[in-house]
Amino acid sequence: MRITLTARLSAWFDQHRRSVNRSYLEMRRHPLATLMTLLVIGITLALPASLLSLLKITQTMTGDHQQSASISLFLKSGIVNEKALRVATDLEQRLQIDHVELLTSADAMEEFRGRSGFGDALDALDENPLPNVLLIHLLPDSSSIEIRKLAAELKEESITDSIEYDQGWIERLQAITRAIRRVVQALGFGLGLAVMLIIGNTIRLEIMNRRQEIEVTRLVGGSDGFIRRPFLYIGLGYGLLGALIAWLLVSILLMLLSGPLGRLAELYDTAISLSAFSLHALLLLIPIGISFGLAGAWLAVSRHLSSINPE
Amino acid sequence: MIRFEKVSKRFPGGHYGVSDISLNIESGALAFITGHSGAGKSTLLRLIALLDRPTRGQLLIDGRNIGRLPEKEIPAHRRRIGLIFQDHRLLNDRSVFDNVALPLHVRGFPVREVGKRVRASLDKVGLLKKEKVLPITLSGGEQQRVGIARAIVSRPPILLADEPTGNLDPELSHEIMDLFLAFNQLGITTLIASHDLELINKLDRPVINLHQGKLT
Repeated sequence: MRITLTARLSAWFDQHRRSVNRSYLEMRRHPLATLMTLLVIGITLALPASLLSLLKITQTMTGDHQQSASISLFLKSGIVNEKALRVATDLEQRLQIDHVELLTSADAMEEFRGRSGFGDALDALDENPLPNVLLIHLLPDSSSIEIRKLAAELKEESITDSIEYDQGWIERLQAITRAIRRVVQALGFGLGLAVMLIIGNTIRLEIMNRRQEIEVTRLVGGSDGFIRRPFLYIGLGYGLLGALIAWLLVSILLMLLSGPLGRLAELYDTAISLSAFSLHALLLLIPIGISFGLAGAWLAVSRHLSSINPE
Repeated sequence: MIRFEKVSKRFPGGHYGVSDISLNIESGALAFITGHSGAGKSTLLRLIALLDRPTRGQLLIDGRNIGRLPEKEIPAHRRRIGLIFQDHRLLNDRSVFDNVALPLHVRGFPVREVGKRVRASLDKVGLLKKEKVLPITLSGGEQQRVGIARAIVSRPPILLADEPTGNLDPELSHEIMDLFLAFNQLGITTLIASHDLELINKLDRPVINLHQGKLT
């Protein structure tokens, strides 16, 4: 019993190995046509994939910002540091506030001098024109409504000269990102369908080319499964290799973008990791490619194989 | 083993391939089917292999009516039959070995067994040395022998040959017939459609004579 099982298993592997082998030979027989088809599949898959990875990058950027969301409270002039610190301690009791930092006018001047390059011009000033600032760091999960409400309350405080917080652009960017994400998803779906049809059509031609072989195989008692198998492997091959090409294309794009995007991230004070050649993306693309390939092949095979019968 | 009971095959358009055929072929027999071209010789063989389905009557093989056999059981049915054609039906992009191995591959034979059986089969038809060449480089007689090797490699209980000597000269025809006689000796039920009456008469075997789709 055991022997027959292993014999059966090895025969099963032999059969599949032969199918894979034949599919490979078939794809190699017309290298140029195969390569062109693979490129079409690769580019088609790369389009939504690269848009998705760009979206992911904007998300990490805006995500970072939300975490460090803060309100700058400019104190009225004449409020001494002791008073400011007391207010800061009071504020820290509030729910949405993580911690409060006092940035004195002297600190602010130092920082401004360092960053702006107006050092000499500043020296010409008699007195420090910058106010004391309370930097109010909010808890990461505070919603934009909460932040707005808090800002309104803080504005009413007697010590407050003015309030500034820059949630607006992040919210807008997130809204745009969400909209674009939808578009990319729809596009991805459509292009996935296109990949399926491209592979289906390629397999259809393959079936027509091998008409005689299919007929003879039917004559000697080949089952539908046996006849179907090499075509499914061809579909799988196209899907797999197409996904690999898409991955390479996306990775190259990300590499080209890493310079400009890195600068952009610097300007917005966040770090972005551009993961060109990331294993994660590959592990995502390959099953997608294989599924589309198999689905396309299955479509072609179920439509066309049954019409081929021996004369 | 093969039993026709009032079997007819009517093609779409009204033409009859065979009509009202009743006959019985015993297990292990070798019989010839003769008649003019268009008399229904091929149709008779095609019905047995389910390349066509009978439109009336019962066609029993080993007591089972195959006329209504479900589509998906046809491959299993064909595996019990070795088919030989006048035009060989070989695949010209594969070696002789791979052509003969095909029936074993569809049955899922392990590689080692395939090699042994294919060589044994090629040996029987005298083509052991040609296993690596492409069929197209062989002569007509040799190609026919490759076709025969393919038909017997899986040792089917039934062998059907449609005009196997149609394109061959008398001497080669004799050789081919001798092969069939040898296989029949091993117990394979054999049906040969042929219009080569001279050859058939020499062999003294049962003859099924068809005329316009009917037994005569």
